[in-house]
Amino acid sequence: MEAESAEPEAIRAESAKPEAIKYESAESGSVRAGSLEIDALRQWFRGVWAIFLKDLHLELRNRYALNVLLMFVLSSVLVVTFAIGTDPVSTRTQAALLWIVITFSASLGLGRSFIAEEERGTVLLLQLNVPGGQVFAGKLVFNMVLIFFVNLVALLVFTFLLNTRITDAGLIITTLFLGSVGLAGATTLLSAIVARATGSSALLPVLLLPLLYPLLLSVVRATQNGFTGGTGWEGSGDHLINLVAFAGVVITASVLLFEHVWND
Amino acid sequence: MPASHPHINLSRYRVVRSIVFVWLTVILFAGFLLNIPRISILEHTARNLYFHVPMWFTMMGAVGVSAWHSVSVLRTGSRIADIRALQAARVGAWFGALGLLTGIIWSRYTWYVGTDVWWNFDPRQTMAALQLLIYGAYFVLRSALEEPEKRARLSAAFNLLAFSTVPFLLYVLPRQMASLHPGADGNPAFSQITAPVMRLVFYPAIAGFIGLFWVLYTQRVRISWIKYRATGNAEL
Repeated sequence: MEAESAEPEAIRAESAKPEAIKYESAESGSVRAGSLEIDALRQWFRGVWAIFLKDLHLELRNRYALNVLLMFVLSSVLVVTFAIGTDPVSTRTQAALLWIVITFSASLGLGRSFIAEEERGTVLLLQLNVPGGQVFAGKLVFNMVLIFFVNLVALLVFTFLLNTRITDAGLIITTLFLGSVGLAGATTLLSAIVARATGSSALLPVLLLPLLYPLLLSVVRATQNGFTGGTGWEGSGDHLINLVAFAGVVITASVLLFEHVWND
Repeated sequence: MPASHPHINLSRYRVVRSIVFVWLTVILFAGFLLNIPRISILEHTARNLYFHVPMWFTMMGAVGVSAWHSVSVLRTGSRIADIRALQAARVGAWFGALGLLTGIIWSRYTWYVGTDVWWNFDPRQTMAALQLLIYGAYFVLRSALEEPEKRARLSAAFNLLAFSTVPFLLYVLPRQMASLHPGADGNPAFSQITAPVMRLVFYPAIAGFIGLFWVLYTQRVRISWIKYRATGNAEL
């Protein structure tokens, strides 16, 4: 009960708006296309923001996805360090292990946003009140914020436990950020697909991992460059551009495809 | 035997099938019997070119066909487009697996001779393996969706999302990873190092295997459509 009460508020404010715009434009008589477009854009951002806030409120209320992600990251990093022992590990391997942990935690935790809608039975409400594009963008932003935060925690735990030394913090943070955008971009549409399938919990990693290879390749090398002995920003340009391109392509494709996945 | 089929031109199918069978038989004989230049280490394994490389062309073609029909599923929701997308993916996956297998076995005894290496992360090898994984995921997704209409729509969306990463596999990866393939990494281009007599067989072999794909794919679409009409389920 409590979980559902947050939604109608955000969405009621949302659905009241189109009326207001129609009213204004009818009153002014001469409709200026520019101001209407800006209104529509503002409208769009308001919808995205409402979805984002709704997810954030619900998440902060029970912290399920956050707890799952953090616990998964913590326990898997610990398992990795126990398995490695005290042997020295090359920076390439360190970067690879870090991103394996991050990828698997993303594939477990980020699927939550759409599956939760199905479980609460709130899908129909969202479909009726908010255009699909705004639902997608709101969930995408939420997933990005969530996974970026988790990535930062993972990096801290990892550097602490494996004695990794970071020389270029700026590069590492940039890489983590771009990696998070790409990860969230690929995962959001897939989790919307998976939420519609039966027995869906194991499906997301299977769908996600083959798509992530271009991302992983660049992200591991850029991270490696930021660790001690790496080349820093020099020689990382290609990898970062690759990450931007990957995020751009995946998010564009997701936006185009989302309406077909979301609407029955 | 039904004289007509709502979605397939049967007389064209029979003509193409006969041509492809004759064509590939000739290719097989020419491929194994024609005299080719002997190069150290390569020797007769160079004949693998006629079979390994066309598999890749065919798989890429199949990936394109599958994506094309997935677009059509999303635009029109037609059932035959869903069947076509699925069957192109299935037949394409077989060609991909054969291409991977021929490549791995061949490279073990040529590029990596004496090193005991089976898998060396060549970008094209990686790309093929990933494409197979993507289709594996596609089939798993289909089996997890019960309702046919939903299954068609969602799996088409996944297929297209996966297709959007193909440019990375084709153009970005090869620049970031070392490769021994011709034309990659400053290696001499294919046309510079391949003997004319081999090209005489190679180009027709590509056409032949793409034709074989078309025959198998059309055949499977036919069977699938009959099963769909009989049981309401095209997956069987």
